Amino acid sequence: MSTAITVPEDLWEGDNEGVITAWLVDDGSQVSQGDLVAEVMVEKAQYEIEAPAAGRLAIAKQEDEVVAKGTTIASLDD
Amino acid sequence: MTGPLDISSMTLQRPTVEEGLVAEEALLDMVCQGEISLGWLAWSPRDRGLVMPRRHERLAGFPEARARLAERGWPVRFRATGGTPVPQSPQVINVALAQRCRVGGSAAHLEWGYHRLGDPWCDWLGHLGVADSDLGPVAGSYCDGRFNVRIAGRKLVGTAQRWRRVRGCRDMALLVHGAMQVEGNPAELVAVVNDFQAGIGDPMRFRAERHIALREAIPGFQPETLDTLLARYRG
Repeated sequence: MSTAITVPEDLWEGDNEGVITAWLVDDGSQVSQGDLVAEVMVEKAQYEIEAPAAGRLAIAKQEDEVVAKGTTIASLDD
Repeated sequence: MTGPLDISSMTLQRPTVEEGLVAEEALLDMVCQGEISLGWLAWSPRDRGLVMPRRHERLAGFPEARARLAERGWPVRFRATGGTPVPQSPQVINVALAQRCRVGGSAAHLEWGYHRLGDPWCDWLGHLGVADSDLGPVAGSYCDGRFNVRIAGRKLVGTAQRWRRVRGCRDMALLVHGAMQVEGNPAELVAVVNDFQAGIGDPMRFRAERHIALREAIPGFQPETLDTLLARYRG
């Protein structure tokens, strides 16, 4: 089973796009639910992205890529 | 714990740049852990540094630029909030505010966060006799954004934020930070940022005349009056 990590819809208001400024966990690493895995920056505001489930991280969007709310940036595989 | 700094103190504290940055992150942690729902720090470093988000490490030319600045007495430090390089020195006063926010309410988005810090700052400046302060962008300034505190269109305070989910619930914790040059010529600090720009091969240069130091607007400013700004952040 795979769980998507998306940029949450409630992180900021409006339709501004953000940029992935950091992956805090290496691709392929095992993470636990609630672990901080990435940072997204919008308008000089850094938002932390948590893992929604446990699993092995498969990064889909790399650092410095532009992302909108709802974008899948990685998946967590059993 | 915020190391050697006292949280929510009404007096200006004098840590090193690194200690100040660590204390700000610890302040956000305290809100995330539910130890406090609101807190602040006011600090002015007793040393110097050029402070930037860690992603700048990935820039071509960064190691050389870092070494060059360190030789000149401006070591690079990293901060948790967004934006681009900002010089820190004893000429600069920082105010950081951390607050728990309920998602879905009006107090859980970045514009609210910037106004939470910036509106009282403008009100305080008005109280000190500065009539023309507001929030807005300043083209040509370093670390520009939409929510600088401006005086007559020049940048006085640069602002940035960090948001983190509060453990175990949907609430968010906000850390919003402002850095204000109080004394000295803005050209000195702008030159440090431009030196870094040159080091990483970025052709963008910033303009000193787009910045203002507080004592240019309020020659008699005394740091002791900062308590009247901090009082505006209570509750």
